[in-house]
Amino acid sequence: MELKINKERRKYLREAIVCIAIATLIGLVVYQIFLYFKIAIFGWNLGLIFAPLTAGYVETILANRIIGEDIGAISAFILFAYTTFYSFILKNPTLGFNFITIGSIAVILQAAFPTLINYILFTVGLGAVLYLLGIFKKFNRFVYNGIMVHIFKKAPEVNSEQSYEFDEFKSNELINSQDFYFITSTDPIDQRIINLGQFNATVIIDKATIRTPPDPEEIEKETIYHLKKGKDMCLIELANEIKAAGGNGIIDLDIQYSLIGLGGDRYQVSAMGMGIHLS
Amino acid sequence: MILTSSNTLETKEIIEYVGLVTGESLIGANIYKDLFSGVRDVVGGRTSKYEEELQKAREIALKSMEEKAESLGANAIVGLKLSYDNLGGTMGNTILVTAYGTAVKCE
Repeated sequence: MELKINKERRKYLREAIVCIAIATLIGLVVYQIFLYFKIAIFGWNLGLIFAPLTAGYVETILANRIIGEDIGAISAFILFAYTTFYSFILKNPTLGFNFITIGSIAVILQAAFPTLINYILFTVGLGAVLYLLGIFKKFNRFVYNGIMVHIFKKAPEVNSEQSYEFDEFKSNELINSQDFYFITSTDPIDQRIINLGQFNATVIIDKATIRTPPDPEEIEKETIYHLKKGKDMCLIELANEIKAAGGNGIIDLDIQYSLIGLGGDRYQVSAMGMGIHLS
Repeated sequence: MILTSSNTLETKEIIEYVGLVTGESLIGANIYKDLFSGVRDVVGGRTSKYEEELQKAREIALKSMEEKAESLGANAIVGLKLSYDNLGGTMGNTILVTAYGTAVKCE
């Protein structure tokens, strides 16, 4: 059974190819005749229209005779592509490979392979644009959250990406709950000071990750988040160093941010000051 | 809120050191703004747009710092330091503005 189907298909293919070939040949002959006799309007050879038309017509007639059904006038598309290529690119190089030529080729391809070209245009092209702009993702999340909240009464899905919201007050409390005096001025009033010498702490931070759809705001957010976090780490490190040396404070504290590494690919936060013991 | 870069306040007495307060803000990650200021640099005009951005960034940093000082119950900041650091970016225009100082209670 399968063998029979295979045989039938092969026969069908062979017949179709014969039809297309004959029609293409006839189309080419017609085109040559049009070229030879220079049948043209405003320098525009009518063969461009009539050659594909003849080929398509011949193919349809042949196919109806031999196979008994239409096979889609493929020779007309071949002729169309050939005549366009021949007259616009080969024969008339002043037109050359410019925008109009590319446009007409695109139109021919669109006519010849509508499904493929439409797929590339609408699915791949539009999809790439939507992906780059992140529209579909946002829309998808919006719809999903809407359904979840209103129909299933669930809490909205939290953005799975890391949030770069920095809790300023929490960080401030953390720094100031160390039992440690961070003083930026040089001499505290009315306090007895024992000097412990200069202390230093450094923290190195990686730069924000490059995002494929460029998003300067998001990069800015991530950068400042890491810088603030790095500053906290640096201060805590400094406090621990001084505590280990027997101090309980620092005066003339200085915090510096700088660009380091090969090609400036990292940030450095350093804090320095005079370790002291206040009593 | 009294802000001063000196160690003491002339007319008031510091009664308590409450803690360190900081404020940061970042500008210039916007490529279009960068390009614009770059053009102005070449032409030779004053990049007033950029100055505005810097001023805005400084205000944000100072405000963030003051809010923290308030939350700690302080009414003045001494030993105030302000710094501008270049963090690279497009045409080296990403600038970090930091403000920090010691929050104090004074009378």
